[in-house]
Amino acid sequence: MSETIDHLITVYKAKSIITMNPSLPRAEVVAVRNGYILETGTLESLQPWLSRHEYVIDNRFEDFIISPGLIDPHLHPSMAAVILPMHFITAMEWKMPWGVIPATTSKSEFDDRLKESMVNPTHGELFITWGHHDLWHGPISRSRLNAINSDLPIIVWNRSFHELCMNDGALEYLDIKESDVKTSSQIDFVKGRFYEMGLAYAIQKLNPYILAPEVFQEGLTKLKQVVHFGGQTTIADMAVGLFDFETEVQSQMTLYDNEETPFRVELVAQSAALSGAKTTTEAEAIIAKLPERNSHRLKFRKRVKLFTDGAFFSQVAQLLDPGYIDGHKGEWLSTPEQFEEATRVYWNKGYTIHVHVTGDLGLELAVDVLEKMQFERPRFNHGFTVEHFGFSTPEQVHKLAKLGANISANAYYLHELSNIYANDSVGFERASSMARIGTSFREGITTTLHSDFTMAPAQPLMSMWVAVNRINEKGKVMGEEECITPQQGLEAITINAARVLGLDHEIGSIRAGKKADFTVLAEDPLEINPIDIKDIRIEATVFEGKVFDIKSS
Amino acid sequence: MIPITIVAGYLGAGKTTFINKVLAETKSPLGVLVNDFGDLAIDHDLIQNDDGLTYSLNNGCVCCKLNDDTGAALESIKNKDISGVLLEASGVAIPIKVANYGLSWPGFSLNGILSLVDGQSVESLLDDKYVKTTVRDQLVQADRIVLNRHKKNIPKRLLELNSDIYTDREIQNYPEFIQDSFLSEKRIDDFQENHYAFKTSSLVSKESINKDKLKDFLSTNPHIHRAKGWIRDQQHQSWLVQMNKGGCKFIPCSYQTQNRMIFISTESINFQSQLINRFT
Repeated sequence: MSETIDHLITVYKAKSIITMNPSLPRAEVVAVRNGYILETGTLESLQPWLSRHEYVIDNRFEDFIISPGLIDPHLHPSMAAVILPMHFITAMEWKMPWGVIPATTSKSEFDDRLKESMVNPTHGELFITWGHHDLWHGPISRSRLNAINSDLPIIVWNRSFHELCMNDGALEYLDIKESDVKTSSQIDFVKGRFYEMGLAYAIQKLNPYILAPEVFQEGLTKLKQVVHFGGQTTIADMAVGLFDFETEVQSQMTLYDNEETPFRVELVAQSAALSGAKTTTEAEAIIAKLPERNSHRLKFRKRVKLFTDGAFFSQVAQLLDPGYIDGHKGEWLSTPEQFEEATRVYWNKGYTIHVHVTGDLGLELAVDVLEKMQFERPRFNHGFTVEHFGFSTPEQVHKLAKLGANISANAYYLHELSNIYANDSVGFERASSMARIGTSFREGITTTLHSDFTMAPAQPLMSMWVAVNRINEKGKVMGEEECITPQQGLEAITINAARVLGLDHEIGSIRAGKKADFTVLAEDPLEINPIDIKDIRIEATVFEGKVFDIKSS
Repeated sequence: MIPITIVAGYLGAGKTTFINKVLAETKSPLGVLVNDFGDLAIDHDLIQNDDGLTYSLNNGCVCCKLNDDTGAALESIKNKDISGVLLEASGVAIPIKVANYGLSWPGFSLNGILSLVDGQSVESLLDDKYVKTTVRDQLVQADRIVLNRHKKNIPKRLLELNSDIYTDREIQNYPEFIQDSFLSEKRIDDFQENHYAFKTSSLVSKESINKDKLKDFLSTNPHIHRAKGWIRDQQHQSWLVQMNKGGCKFIPCSYQTQNRMIFISTESINFQSQLINRFT
C-alpha cells in the first residue's frame, strides 16, 4: 500500500495461479510487496528475489486457485443502495453475503414469508419487500395484504420495479386518500396498486423513506459486502448522477474510501446529469475537473457516459426492421442529433466514451456516429465502448471491430429474458442471439461482461457462466454459436474488463509490476465442467496485497 | 384540477418559442415544466417566465421512476397560484406517455396534446432512419398540431397523419389557443385503446364546394368524428373547415387552389363516388 511502506515480501502459494498473462499463463506462487506483484512463477524461479530480500510464505491458499481480481465494469451503486435495504421475497434464489435468500415459489409461501418478516420494518416504520411476481406469487391486492395485517404499513414492490401494492396501513401512513386519486389514473385504489405514472406518484410519497440518507448509506454498505462476496476487486459506477450527483459521490467517498474496502471504484459521470451545465461543452469542462476529487480508491478519469435508446428490460430498445412482434416501438433517450453532438465534444477532447445501447437501431446510431467521428478526426485506441449490447447484427459487430470499439455486454439478458423474448417480443432468431458475444470475440473486439447490478447479480462468475453456456432460465441453450470458451469468459471478467476501463497496465492479470488484486477460488474455472462455473465458491479476495476473507454463510 | 397542456414535437420544432409566446401574452400565471432529458438544461434558460414557476426536468434513470422529476415538480407546483401547466416534452418524447401525467397525477387534468412541427424538416424527419416512428407518433398522437415555418401548401403526408393543423399565422392569441381543453374525441378513444376502429379518408378535388351542403353532410353523418381541411366555394371564397363533436366551424382563409379535407370516421367514406356531388 502506498500509505505504509512494508519491505517484507509475502509469497502466496496456490494449487494453481491463473495469471491471464499469455506469456506465462500458469504459476504456483506469487510474490507481493507493498501491494504490488514482484513476480509470479515457482519458488525456484523466484529465488533471485527471495535470496536477496526478507520474505514470508503464506500457505493459506495452497488448496485454492488464484485468479486476477475479478472486475465488474458496469454497475450502479446508487440503484443498489435503494434496493438492498428492502426485504427480498423472490422466486429466484439470491446468494447474499448475509445468507442465501431461498426461492419463494407459491402464493401461500409468499404470504407466510411476508407474515414472518413484516414485523421488522425496513424503512423507519415502513416495511418494504421487493420481488413479488404474479406468475409465482399470485395477484397482489390491498385486501390480500390487509388479511395478513392491515395496521402495519406494508408495501410490496414488484420484481420488475414497475408496480407496487400498499395495504391500508401504508396508505394511511403515507396519507394517500381515495379522494386524491383519480379514477382515470394508473392507480387502482381499491386494490392498492400503483403502476406507471401512478407508481411515480407513490414513489414521490415514498422518496423521503427510500432515499433517506441513513437508508441510502445502509444500502451502500450492503453493496460493499455484495461486491466483495462476488469476488470483485474493481467495479465501475457507470453513470454517476443517476439520482443526485453530489450525494452519490460524497456518500461513496465517505463509505468506500477506507482501508476496510476491498475494491476500487471507477467513477464515470453521466454527461446529461451535471447540473449547472447548459451545454455539452460546459458539462465537459466540469467532467475535466472531476479527477481533482480523486482519492486512493475512487477515481474519475477522462471518460464519460452517454445514452442512445431505451431500457432493455422494459422493451423500449430501438429496433431495426422488423421490430417487435406486437408492433410497438422503442424509444430514444435523446435525439440522435444531440447524441452525435455530445459524442463529438467528448471525442474531440480525447475522452473514452461509454454508450448505453440496447437495441440494434440504437447500435446502428452508435456505429454511424462513431464512423463519422473517425472520418472527421481519426483516433486510435479511443476505447469507445458499447454498453449492454442487447440486440445487434453480425454486420454491426464487424463494423465495430473496424472502427476500434470495445463491447461491454450484459450476458444475463440472455439467461433471464431470451425465453420470454423469443415467445412474446422479437421471436427466436433475434432472442437467441442477444448478447452476440461469440461473434464479438471472433471479430477480435475487446469484450467484457457486466452485471449492471441490480439488473443481474453482481457476480462476474455468473456473467461468465451465461456467456460460456448460454443457458436461459428454462434450461435451454440459446444461440450455441455465440458461446465463448471458459478462457475467453475469464478474459472478459479480468484483463478485458481492465482494458475497457483503461486500467490494463495496472490490473486484470497477474504479472510483475501490477497491483496485487486476486480472487481466491475453490475450483479452477478453466478446468471445471463449464456448467458449474457459477457455483464456484469464492474463498477470499486480495486487494492491493491485503487479504479479505469471505465468510461462508 | 390544474390543466396540463403537453407541448411535444421534435428537436427544433419551435416548442420553446411557442411557450414563450404564450407566456408573453398570458394574463394569468402558468407553470412551465421543461423536460431536458438527454439534452442539457438549455431550454430552461430560454423560457421567460415568473420566478419560481419554471422547472427543469431531468429524468435521470432510464429504467425506473425513482427519481421522477416531473412528479416532484407537479407536487411542488400544485399549491401555487397558477391557471395551468405547460409541459414541454423532450424532443424524443412519446406524447401519450407524457400525457399520462395529466391523466394520472392527483390534482391535475389533461388539457390536450399539442405537437409542434417545423414545416421545413417534417418530411425528411418522416423518412429519417432513426426517428421516423418517433416523429410519426408525435404527429398522430397530438390533439392539435401547430405548423411553423412552412411555405405554400401543407405537406399531404402531414395532413394524412393528423388533420388538426394550425399554422403559426392562424393563431391570433396564444393563451386563448390553449385556454379551453382541446382534448379530442380521438384522444379519449386512444386511451380506451379503440383507435383501430377509426378510418381516415381524404378528399382532394378542384371543383368548388357548396359550403352549406358540406356542413349539412358533416352534421348529419353519424360516422364522422372529426373533419378538417380547406375548401373553396362557388363564390371563390376559401374556408378553413374544422369539425368535431362540438360542432362545425368555417373560418375564412387565404385563397386555396383546391379542396383538401381529412375525415376521421368509423366507416370509410368514398369521395370518388357520387357522394361528392352532394356538396358540389
